[in-house]
Amino acid sequence: MSSRHALRRAVLVLVRGVALIAAVTAICYRIHLNSASTALLFLIAIVLQSLDCGFWEAAIVSVLAAASLDWFFIDPLFTFTVTHRLDLITLVCLLIVSLVVTRIQARSRSEARESRLQRENMERLYRAGTELFAQAPAATVGPALLRPFWTRFELEAVCLFDHASKEMHELGKSRGGLATKTRDGYISGRNAVYPELGIVVRCLWERGGILGAIGFEGLRNPELLAPALASLAASVLERSRIFRSAAAAAARAQAETLRSAILDALAHEFKTPLATIVTAAGGLSVTGSMSPDQAELAAMIETEAARLGDLTSRLLRLARLDREEVTPRLEPADASEIAQRSARRYTKLWPDRQISFRKNGEVGDVRVDPELMSLAISQLLENACKYSRPDARVLVELSSGENAAAIDVWNDGDPIPTDERSRIFDRFYRGKDAQRTAAGSGLGLYVARKIALAHGGDLSLMDNGAEGVTFRLTLPVSKSEASVAE
Amino acid sequence: MPSENCKVLIVDDDSAFRRALRTSLAASGFDVSEARNGEEALAVTRDKPCDIALLDINMPGMGGIETCRKIRSLSPRIGILMLTVRDAEEDKVQALEAGADDFVTKPYRLREMIARLRAVRRRLLPPDEVPAAVLRAGTLELDSERRVVTKSGAEIHLSPKEYDLLSYLFKHQGALLTHSRLLQGVWGAEYGGELEYLRSYVRMLRKKIEDDPSQPEYILTEPWVGYRFRNPADAESPLSDGE
Repeated sequence: MSSRHALRRAVLVLVRGVALIAAVTAICYRIHLNSASTALLFLIAIVLQSLDCGFWEAAIVSVLAAASLDWFFIDPLFTFTVTHRLDLITLVCLLIVSLVVTRIQARSRSEARESRLQRENMERLYRAGTELFAQAPAATVGPALLRPFWTRFELEAVCLFDHASKEMHELGKSRGGLATKTRDGYISGRNAVYPELGIVVRCLWERGGILGAIGFEGLRNPELLAPALASLAASVLERSRIFRSAAAAAARAQAETLRSAILDALAHEFKTPLATIVTAAGGLSVTGSMSPDQAELAAMIETEAARLGDLTSRLLRLARLDREEVTPRLEPADASEIAQRSARRYTKLWPDRQISFRKNGEVGDVRVDPELMSLAISQLLENACKYSRPDARVLVELSSGENAAAIDVWNDGDPIPTDERSRIFDRFYRGKDAQRTAAGSGLGLYVARKIALAHGGDLSLMDNGAEGVTFRLTLPVSKSEASVAE
Repeated sequence: MPSENCKVLIVDDDSAFRRALRTSLAASGFDVSEARNGEEALAVTRDKPCDIALLDINMPGMGGIETCRKIRSLSPRIGILMLTVRDAEEDKVQALEAGADDFVTKPYRLREMIARLRAVRRRLLPPDEVPAAVLRAGTLELDSERRVVTKSGAEIHLSPKEYDLLSYLFKHQGALLTHSRLLQGVWGAEYGGELEYLRSYVRMLRKKIEDDPSQPEYILTEPWVGYRFRNPADAESPLSDGE
């Protein structure tokens, strides 16, 4: 449509040029003007003609003027032959000057046109940007992001593949399979141009990561505009991503505050009545004479309520370590002593489990926070006892490696299912069997690992086939014992 | 240990708890009075001096820590036992530094509470005679004149600092001593945060005086708070090297 319009305009301009030259020729011929004066008038006509037409139209008119000068005004007349040198110079001068003027005019006009186009594009880009950034960051996704591009740049179609949501959004009607080409661009991570289809695809990058890909169909001046539009789209997408992550962080922080408040309330509201029950049950046995059965029942209430209290305390301690950053107060300590003490404690707590301790070779001094380390080992022992059968064997084994000491806590229970192995250290995760076997918070292993990592070590589940379950806690071994000031 | 003459003031905002504790302690031979909050506790302490105050840390109004500080300044010789539900070390350290003698975490068994009350009471009683030059705890003997420590009659070699630490612990038998109090008492007022020193010395002392250092009977750890020196001959003092 536009090319036909341009052709028609070129033909009209050419006709006008020919008419102008014809008119000048007729007038000059009638008044018998000499060749030099006529050449000057031709030149004026050519300059006027080249003011608003392209180079080729003006060049054709220039050649026509030179031919007309030769035919009608240079001897011998009505031939294209030139006999006098002066006439030849006049003719050549006319041709050269008219062509140069035409060229300069065409270039300056093209530059003006380009500059106008650029200004228009800048304005469109500015308006599209303003429109996009005026939207709420959370709303600038999908079609809302594409609409300003589509309307401001009069595109046939525009398409976006969003990496975060893995969704494809399209506006307009594509004739060249824009969506497929945009998706291909995203997958390959490369920009692409399809000149025959008028399609440009640009990948959207931000800080080294891909945000998606955007495709334009029917974009004029794509080499200039496509990078700018892609940058704008990337900025808007990134802004939306940052907003979403900030909103999620704020929601997480709010959830944590709420959790802390609930935990504190739980500590108070739960443990206060428990304290009353334990005290009252203990008081029963000292206030008066009770039958042996009554005394036994009172003792049972006291023991069980106290146990509930211990469980609550332990759960609250885990929850506190979970929400706080673990900062161990490191000091040289005997890992064997810590492990042994925990093993002994659990022997008393779980008399129906066969808990033993073994030490393989000399383990160097480790730098640990003894209290935190006891807590981590106790957690492993707690799990080993809680999730095993009565009379199960539990072994705490200490061994030393090249640069690390390892504390293995093994029990002869059923192995942890393969699909759960990678998830058991996740916060709040509880295995299917674990949920059936015993109560728990899903925080124990998570916190134990957090403690191990804070010590520069690690906690992992060992692969020992069908032979029970082993958790290995590793700790870096210090080369020399820290000196102690007297 | 007779409890008949021991006057205990229970300060807690929970009436059911006060009632249960009052009845139980009264049945165990204590003379019990009550207060619902810190302000009331101060008034009661002024009107009717007691031997030991049982103070809940979390109370509306003045709060347990502030009440502890005020009661301590009002009657320096009173025993203060703090009660807490939170089991948070910072609360315990704060309470001990505000002048409390000990603390128990709710819920606790009555006999544990009574043992703690009696231990506090015992430390408050005026000494019957001039302090003995030789202090005893189980099979340990500390001769402060000769600076010699023996275990079952055999002399234990201690470095000067080890001796100072053991002597300090010996003199405060049964009391819960915070890390900073021990450091300041043994190393000097400018100390307080050098936990590593303290722990290293406690480790070395345990190796020398305990039968099994992994199961200490004398120097017990109160995790994240401090240490307590226990006299094994004292049946009422709890053996809990808690974790």
